[in-house]
Amino acid sequence: MTETSEVVKINKWDGAAAKNAIDDAIREVFTGDLKCKESFALIDGRLFLCALAVGVALYALLWDYLYPFPQSRLVLIICVSSYFILMGILTLYTTLKEKGIFVVAKEKVGNNTRIWEASSYVKKHDDKYNLVVVMRDAGGRSREASINKSFANFIDVNGAVVQSVVVTEITKLYNSLSSDKKEK
Amino acid sequence: MLDSLFDDVKRMNKRQFIYQVLSFGMIVSSALMIWKGLMVVTGSESPIVVVLSGSMEPAFHRGDLLFLTNYPEEPVRVGEIVVFKVEGRDIPIVHRVLKLHEKNNGTVKFLTKGDNNSVDDRGLYAQGQLWLTKKDVVGRARGFLPYVGMVTIYMNEYPKFKFAVLACLAIYVLVHRE
Repeated sequence: MTETSEVVKINKWDGAAAKNAIDDAIREVFTGDLKCKESFALIDGRLFLCALAVGVALYALLWDYLYPFPQSRLVLIICVSSYFILMGILTLYTTLKEKGIFVVAKEKVGNNTRIWEASSYVKKHDDKYNLVVVMRDAGGRSREASINKSFANFIDVNGAVVQSVVVTEITKLYNSLSSDKKEK
Repeated sequence: MLDSLFDDVKRMNKRQFIYQVLSFGMIVSSALMIWKGLMVVTGSESPIVVVLSGSMEPAFHRGDLLFLTNYPEEPVRVGEIVVFKVEGRDIPIVHRVLKLHEKNNGTVKFLTKGDNNSVDDRGLYAQGQLWLTKKDVVGRARGFLPYVGMVTIYMNEYPKFKFAVLACLAIYVLVHRE
């Protein structure tokens, strides 16, 4: 939560932890080094769905407590069915809309805004970190580039993420995506 | 050791932390909603119960899991196994209907007895109560799974163990990211 970037140390054999740590490092590069503004709309949407679902469940619990079962039947039917519908929507949201995107960053270029989206995935029992960066410009065109490298490239022996390597990799991607656009 | 346990949490930003709490909330509420859904489907306020005593042997043993339904249109009949509540007792009782009186207007009163008990249940009912009525019924046994309920019985006999297990699970879910 603090801005001071102390050295992040993780259990490098834990795939999920390694992925999260690298994701965080990449987010830092976009918001810090590349001076983009992070947009939270995507994650806020998911938080809203989750909060709504938990709220519906709490409401059902409260209502059932105030008006014991046979009386609360109708409210329970409504709450239970809407809860499971919400769970379905949440699943669709994370698989179809979020698709593993962990940072959406907006960048001002002149009068236009470019949007950068970075998503990543790691296969089970695999050491390859797959990163996909998509750049959308104001005209609605999008361009993407990806990296597929082992965790070993980003994390040192002690399990600390090497920020300088991440910065280099992302800057390389950033430059290639930006310059492609100028050629056209 | 403890320090590194909470490292994941410390490194989260505000939104990640909120999501962590919410996803823990969703695990709890999913279980809750499945339970409430079963209540609606079966019509019983407690659709699954665990047999706690041997009073219904050899039909049910201690630790059996019972599935109940409680549809208002289904009449109670002699010989059926009902689960009922008695005023002043927290735990519902599972016993068989022994005698039943039904009036034309549909009201019933009935007497129950445990298969393995030598006397009927009048001694178990509230002071001065001679019969049970429909409002005392939690449900009727529709099926059972043997022994599964022993877990619940052990958990209730050793509450400290139960809280320890629950606390460990909760901490794991809250602290571990994704």
